Amino acid sequence: MNVTGSLETFGDIVVFVLSILGRLANLRVFRHFGEVLRQAGILILSSTLVIWGLVFIIGLQCGIEGAYFNRSVGAPAYAGVFAAWCDLRELVPLCFGYMMAAKVGTGIVAELGSMRISDEIDALEVMGISGVTFLCATRLLAALIVLPFVYLCAIGAGFFASYLAVVQQIGDVSSGGFFLIFWEFQNPPDLLYSLIKAMAMAIIIVLVGCYYGYNASGGPVGVGTATAKSMVFNIVAVHIVGMLGTQLFWGTNPRAPIGG
Amino acid sequence: MRFTRGKRGGDSQPARGLSTGNGSDTGAPAPGTGAWNPGAAADAATAPWNPAPAADAASPSTTPGPSQSGFDFDRPAPLTENGHGGDRRQPEAAPVPGATPVPTPRPAPPEDDFTFEHPIAEHRPARAHAGDGDGGVGPASSSRVSVVDEQGPRPEPPAGATEEEYKWHTYRVYPSGRPDAVEFIDTYRAFGKNRILRGLNMGLPEGMVSMILGPSGTGKSVCIKHMVGLLYPDQGDVLVHGHSVPNMVDDELFEMRKKFGLLFQDGALFGSMNLYDNVAFPLRQHTEKGEDEIEDIVMRRLNEVGLGHSRDKYPNELSGGMRKRAGFARALVLEPDIVLFDEPDSGLDPVRTSLLGELILEVHRDMMDEAKAAQKTHLPTFCVITHNVMMARRTADYINVLWKGRIVEAGPTEDMLNSPNPFIRQFLAGESMGPLTMD
Ligand SMILES: Nc1ncnc2c1ncn2[C@@H]1O[C@H](COP(=O)(O)OP(=O)(O)O)[C@@H](O)[C@H]1O
Ligand SMILES: [Mg+2]
Repeated sequence: MNVTGSLETFGDIVVFVLSILGRLANLRVFRHFGEVLRQAGILILSSTLVIWGLVFIIGLQCGIEGAYFNRSVGAPAYAGVFAAWCDLRELVPLCFGYMMAAKVGTGIVAELGSMRISDEIDALEVMGISGVTFLCATRLLAALIVLPFVYLCAIGAGFFASYLAVVQQIGDVSSGGFFLIFWEFQNPPDLLYSLIKAMAMAIIIVLVGCYYGYNASGGPVGVGTATAKSMVFNIVAVHIVGMLGTQLFWGTNPRAPIGG
Repeated sequence: MRFTRGKRGGDSQPARGLSTGNGSDTGAPAPGTGAWNPGAAADAATAPWNPAPAADAASPSTTPGPSQSGFDFDRPAPLTENGHGGDRRQPEAAPVPGATPVPTPRPAPPEDDFTFEHPIAEHRPARAHAGDGDGGVGPASSSRVSVVDEQGPRPEPPAGATEEEYKWHTYRVYPSGRPDAVEFIDTYRAFGKNRILRGLNMGLPEGMVSMILGPSGTGKSVCIKHMVGLLYPDQGDVLVHGHSVPNMVDDELFEMRKKFGLLFQDGALFGSMNLYDNVAFPLRQHTEKGEDEIEDIVMRRLNEVGLGHSRDKYPNELSGGMRKRAGFARALVLEPDIVLFDEPDSGLDPVRTSLLGELILEVHRDMMDEAKAAQKTHLPTFCVITHNVMMARRTADYINVLWKGRIVEAGPTEDMLNSPNPFIRQFLAGESMGPLTMD
């Protein structure tokens, strides 16, 4: 894809996204609240466990590496810092973003894309129901309702995994010592910032998925291509959001009891 | 509504052709000035039969429907400013808005060349059930009634095409005696370099089962999508009950679409729902009916198409023919004014095809009776798209033959079957010998 092509795509996405947000803003989406609930249910049933699982694994890894690193610099009691920082601020949002892109984003592209090529979206429109509202805005709203909860639980899973790795597996620090440091190096705004990062990723992923699915063309092959493109776009977007969030929230102020 | 439509028809009448009444008004047909005579073009451009200046751009609102008048000003094509009546038949003929209308003798209809006599006044749709006298639009009162017309100049072939390519296009429209529920006026539409609609003028008469016949890939599905506003013309206009579809804002469009039931080529059932939910979907979305009532309606429709026993199956568990029948049930469930069928017969065996044809007629008959009983403003209009000539002969009241982005000829089935045009003869007989070849 050349540069102008990418820019055009980006422009199209922005226009499309604005139209979806419009349906949320003017509350039209609430005409289809049943569909919102159905999508929310699908999200919970199909995507939560895999997200929590992935975050749990990354929490374990982070805990192990953190514990050994702190032992190597002679401060094993400080292993909780890794859980507080690396999990909360970076890895849990990233893993959440990856899994959202892989599972939810591509799922939306494939579903809407196949609806598009089998004329189902046209059929919907001909029945006098806006496809953007019924298919896209409902999915976005469902994500907004469900995902904060999913994400907060994911953070819990990550912390729990780190705790297991640091305290139960490696055992350089006691449970009480771990939590002392763990709580010292974070406070409620950090949790909020982390949530903001993750929700920004999730919203982008859902919207981009809707765009690529809703505008798919070219038969089954076209749907496949659209799925791949959306995945690339979303992974890049996840990293950009992660980086911008870190810069914005913690780039100039570590928000931690360290000198400097 | 009748009134406005009648009035509108009055404007468009000359364009569609000589009606008997009009013919005698104007009188003095000049024999020899046929549609094939390019020399007639200049005269016709000035719309001799309608000398009132109002016929020009000064009165864009030839469709005085209330919601129509609101956006007449931004009709896409300047041609339509002259009143679609005028351009309906003559895409290239009215390019100068404001040109002084000079009354000139009306050119004689070229069908004079042909021997068969057309009993215009008595003419009625071929099929009895299509109903006579309903809605009070008789040929005498309705201006939309057009007769074989060719009176204007023969429209030029679209840009880039030769006269030779369009030599079988007589553009003749035999009168249906009805107003048109859907009208295409000089519609152009291209996909990239692929020009599909090339100045299409077509009407689907109200209260009839119309067919759009044409070889595969001519743009029949594209036509349907224009009617319901899924695609927009590059140029020209599409009117549904007199309202311009391309000029509707979103809300109007969604409201207008509720008039339509559309059976897509592959059924387009929602893959995430079973048959029952698919058919119930429009009812749940658009009505306040309770589940009991919905079940009654849905099961009646499903049984009608022989799928009552499969109500819990998902679309991917069904054969193509079953999906199509389910799509049929879904298209009818809201009792729309206009039902469009995109190749309902493709992929069906011959027996099923004729059963389906009968079903379509039967449903249409029922809906006509209901509409008359309820005194609806618009009679149910069915439009079947197909390349199956047998089905057309058996089912259609009215046939449009589409080729190369324009209508070759259109008219009630009987007239079409008697058409002297060799292309139409070949096409309706399904023969290999004739003007239409593989290229
Ligand atoms: N959305 C579209 N984009 C590009 N080309 C299209 C589109 N829809 C239809 N076409 C082209 O228009 C032509 C006519 O299509 P269609 O209306 O489906 O034919 P048919 O008369 O068989 O129904 C085809 O050549 C097709 O490639
Ligand atoms: Mg088609």
